[in-house]
Amino acid sequence: MKTYIAQRLAIAVLTLFGMSVVIFVLLRMAPGDIVDVLFSAAGYVNPSEKQAILRELGMDKPYWQQYVQWITQIFHGDLGKSYRYDLPAWQIIRPLLPVTIELAILSTIVAIVLGVPTGIVSAVRQDSLLDYTMRVFSLAGLSMPSFWLGMVIILVLVSWLAWIPPLTYVKPTENFWLHCVQFLLPSLAVGYRSSALIMRITRSAMLEVLREDYIRTARAKGQGQRAVVWRHALKNAVLPVVTVVGIEFAFLIGGLVVTETVFNLPGVARFLVEAILWRDYPIVQNLVMFIAIVVILSNLTVDLLYGVLDPRVRYA
Amino acid sequence: MRPRLLLLVAPVVVAAAAVLAAGTPAVSQAPKTGGVLTVAQREETPQGFAIHETSTVSTTWPAMPCLSNLVLFNPAKQQESTDTVIGELAEKWSWQDNYRNLVFFLRKGVKWHDGQPFTSKDVKFTFDMLREAPDAQGKLRINPRKDWYANVVNVEAPDPFTVIFHLKRPQPSLLLMLASGYTPIYAAHVPPAQYRTSCVGTGPFKLKEWRKGEFIEYVKNPDYFVKGRPYLDGIRYVIIKERGTRVAALQAGQVQVAFPGDTSKTTAEQLKSAVPKMVITRAAENVNENVIMNTKKPPFDNLKIRLAVAHAIDRRSLNQAVHQGGAAIGVSMPSRPWGVWGPPESVVNAMPGYGKPADEKAKARKLMAEAGFGPDKPVKVEIVTRAIAVYVDMASFIVNELKQIGIEATLKQIETAQWHAMATRGEYQIGANLTGIGIDDPDANYYENFACNSPRNYTFYCNEQIAALVDKQSAEIDAKKRLAIVLDIQKKLEDEGARPTLDWRVDNFAHWPQVKNLIPHNNFYNYGRMQDVWLDK
Repeated sequence: MKTYIAQRLAIAVLTLFGMSVVIFVLLRMAPGDIVDVLFSAAGYVNPSEKQAILRELGMDKPYWQQYVQWITQIFHGDLGKSYRYDLPAWQIIRPLLPVTIELAILSTIVAIVLGVPTGIVSAVRQDSLLDYTMRVFSLAGLSMPSFWLGMVIILVLVSWLAWIPPLTYVKPTENFWLHCVQFLLPSLAVGYRSSALIMRITRSAMLEVLREDYIRTARAKGQGQRAVVWRHALKNAVLPVVTVVGIEFAFLIGGLVVTETVFNLPGVARFLVEAILWRDYPIVQNLVMFIAIVVILSNLTVDLLYGVLDPRVRYA
Repeated sequence: MRPRLLLLVAPVVVAAAAVLAAGTPAVSQAPKTGGVLTVAQREETPQGFAIHETSTVSTTWPAMPCLSNLVLFNPAKQQESTDTVIGELAEKWSWQDNYRNLVFFLRKGVKWHDGQPFTSKDVKFTFDMLREAPDAQGKLRINPRKDWYANVVNVEAPDPFTVIFHLKRPQPSLLLMLASGYTPIYAAHVPPAQYRTSCVGTGPFKLKEWRKGEFIEYVKNPDYFVKGRPYLDGIRYVIIKERGTRVAALQAGQVQVAFPGDTSKTTAEQLKSAVPKMVITRAAENVNENVIMNTKKPPFDNLKIRLAVAHAIDRRSLNQAVHQGGAAIGVSMPSRPWGVWGPPESVVNAMPGYGKPADEKAKARKLMAEAGFGPDKPVKVEIVTRAIAVYVDMASFIVNELKQIGIEATLKQIETAQWHAMATRGEYQIGANLTGIGIDDPDANYYENFACNSPRNYTFYCNEQIAALVDKQSAEIDAKKRLAIVLDIQKKLEDEGARPTLDWRVDNFAHWPQVKNLIPHNNFYNYGRMQDVWLDK
């Protein structure tokens, strides 16, 4: 198991290094830079003034020097300075993280709570009215983009109740109830879509397992339906579900752009898009690295869970 | 103040002496104090509170409550003009020496938010920095309005409460430029770069917190130099990027005031139907939609083709299609009631593109034929525009109009990061553009957008005769004579297809009825001070 974890960590480090190179190069390949954006707010671009600002920001140095500087800074715990805000990047990024992580966790919980039970019931009651209803429900979830659903929720709330959730971030320590309300609706909007995927995966995995010989044997030995489903079938069907949950969670960390925008939540994804539009390299680079770390850790967690859930993986 | 100057040179105009900056009583009710106003902000403020380094309402709107000008447009008057300029940090002012010197007498006892005293040194610091004087103590990273002060030779501070602007030649519009939301006074003891992250002003509100990407919060300045102001305890600008969410927030009362320029005619109708008591006021933004044609590159170096474009675009249909009839038709200066310099409708109707659509299209086709083009030999061009919905809608309409006269245009959307760099370098043939002008005055518009060497003259149109007329109107003291010259310039610009104006945007400024004394101006850069605003609850 230790070798397995060590291998995974080594791959993770290599992946992060690759990611750092890719994001660094891609950002600089994109046309325009922060100075063009700054001038954009002034309505013109002056080449000599532009050069002076590039120098001031250290962007006139060769790319390799800029890359080495960035990586060295990271190793020293310094994420550099935001070009846009003229403040340390960490100071900008730090408040965004809890928002996105909380939203991603809550959405994942909603997705699991909705998706797994409905998937199981749908499989157990295959081709029944309940199965068809749940499949339509899940298909609708897959078909509706979460931002659209979010906007519909807001419009319905404002039209019917003349109320919408708070538009500035309420910390749980400030007002716990309002904080919950603020996160409930976006996590429902996002979680519903993810739950649809989880439901379908759970259903197909369960259907496969329920046809196995050992399930028939269990039934023949007089095991009750509940024991067969929960103890024998679900435990064996859960591996693909865990994989999907891991992927969905990782996706949510960077993929909540529009949901965060619609619900006006100050999270990582929304800010990342802003930073890209502003060509605020220190913010973009570090946020992308953060997302990459979450994706890698999430995959690692899934891999480790395989070992926990399936002894065959552990002993292989 | 140099006594000799005052004694020897008789003032030509002594303007609005001892006008209190606030001086705007509530219309019918006695103002109430207290409460926190919540205001929508469409995006993070670019460059923080550094108004001098930007040209966008996204900065002036949330930064104005912190700062003060020498003079300001009266918050209570929707239409701005020389007559509506009131004192702010200057108690009174006087034109001297046939409009060659502008003398300001400053308020005494004014304090910066950090407790330092305000003096003429701060004024000199600010304007030396803006005009990039050789001995300026401060330097801006980007200085978009340097040209506004091209006529200022020197800014003199003879004593702590007097400032004199010495001009090369008379320029009545200088006073209006000083009254713009774009012209706050910076503190001499604060590095200009610091305004990008914080705000030390003399304004009615002090910055409490700026949570990046979320909100900007102000509290009342207890030491504000106008006694009894501001009425509000604070203001919170809530940053809401998504337009639909902004509208919902206003409708739900989470914000009480819309962002200026944000409420289209359709949105206003929707808001009014959902909340009948919502207050909607139509006010011009002083932003026009225009066609930029690169006069240095074929085919638009050809006057006939530029004129054909000007004739081809049906302004009224554009207004209906893109703005549901909510914009105002006009040429390079807005006409009444949205501005004071534009020609009357009857004159506008005689200009290229404003007649009957069929006649205009026929004239356009004739011009194309004279230039050697037609249905069998179309002109193929790329029309550029910013990748923002309001630009793209307008550009799409233009593409369709041009197709009808034999110009096959393909639309290319340019990201904001590249737009101005591309336009300044002239790396385009034709484009659909929006231009905002800081004040309703020909100087601000023509020197910025039509002067031969201006960096914002994206079309590179250069006409010495018109340049001379622009200088002439700028120096003209008699308002009637000046207007006549300006009308002449407008006609000539349209006849030259210099930069055809398509329409002037009109906002349907929305706020809840409990918000009092917030009167939108016909220029959304200049009414954000909020010192007279109060909440009736």
